Amino acid sequence: MTDPAEGSEVSVRPPADWPSAEIAALYEAHSRAIYYLCLRFLGDSQRAEDATHDVFLKAFRKLDQFRGEASTRTWLYRIAINHCQNLQQSWHHRHIMPSSDDAVWEQAASKADSPLRVLETKELGQRIQQTLDRLSDEYRLLLLLVADEELSYEQIGQLMGQSTDAVRGKLHRARKTFAAFFAQTA
Amino acid sequence: MKQQSKISQREQPLAAHTQQHQQGGQEFAGAEELLRFDASQTPVPPPIAERLKQSAPPAAPRSWWRNLFGA
Repeated sequence: MTDPAEGSEVSVRPPADWPSAEIAALYEAHSRAIYYLCLRFLGDSQRAEDATHDVFLKAFRKLDQFRGEASTRTWLYRIAINHCQNLQQSWHHRHIMPSSDDAVWEQAASKADSPLRVLETKELGQRIQQTLDRLSDEYRLLLLLVADEELSYEQIGQLMGQSTDAVRGKLHRARKTFAAFFAQTA
Repeated sequence: MKQQSKISQREQPLAAHTQQHQQGGQEFAGAEELLRFDASQTPVPPPIAERLKQSAPPAAPRSWWRNLFGA
């Protein structure tokens, strides 16, 4: 598995000769967020690249149906989440341990209160991916969405089909579980 | 402001639990901040834009009433 986070910085700006300025603007504004969600949710750079392409292609084709009832970012996230979840269901490659999350959280709760340290910058992306891979789909998605400052809890709840209170409650445990797993990658 | 309330609510429990991700000389207040940093360091591969340019539908012509009213 390759980690594109280790690559050089590349501009998100699309080619100048896109079919329309509206499409180019949409891609320029949201491609980084959508690609990152696909990358860390799927855990594979090539699959994330394909998924990002497919998500934006779907969005471009449905652009005239978008009524602005949700924010553009939320609308794109909904397409991306559905697409990534469909891919995962068809791949059956991920070993999900939802029941183990709570056990690890209980065992490592005290450890999670201690500072977690990263010594090598170049390994950070791999450590984050290893950590996210061990989380349940729900916790992984929750943390990735909350990390986007453009989304409110209400929007995250809508994307996950849960109430705002449920999002807040699960977020606490997701943070703890992430911290416990992350410490184990050191 | 929803965004502000989300951030403040997010930071409080992290501070209470003193979760700190330290990376080199940097410290991260918690998982979200770490992911945010990771996202900022993750470029979008240029081939995606090139592929989309080829496969994206052409822009639909503006309807006469949009041209008329500037909608």
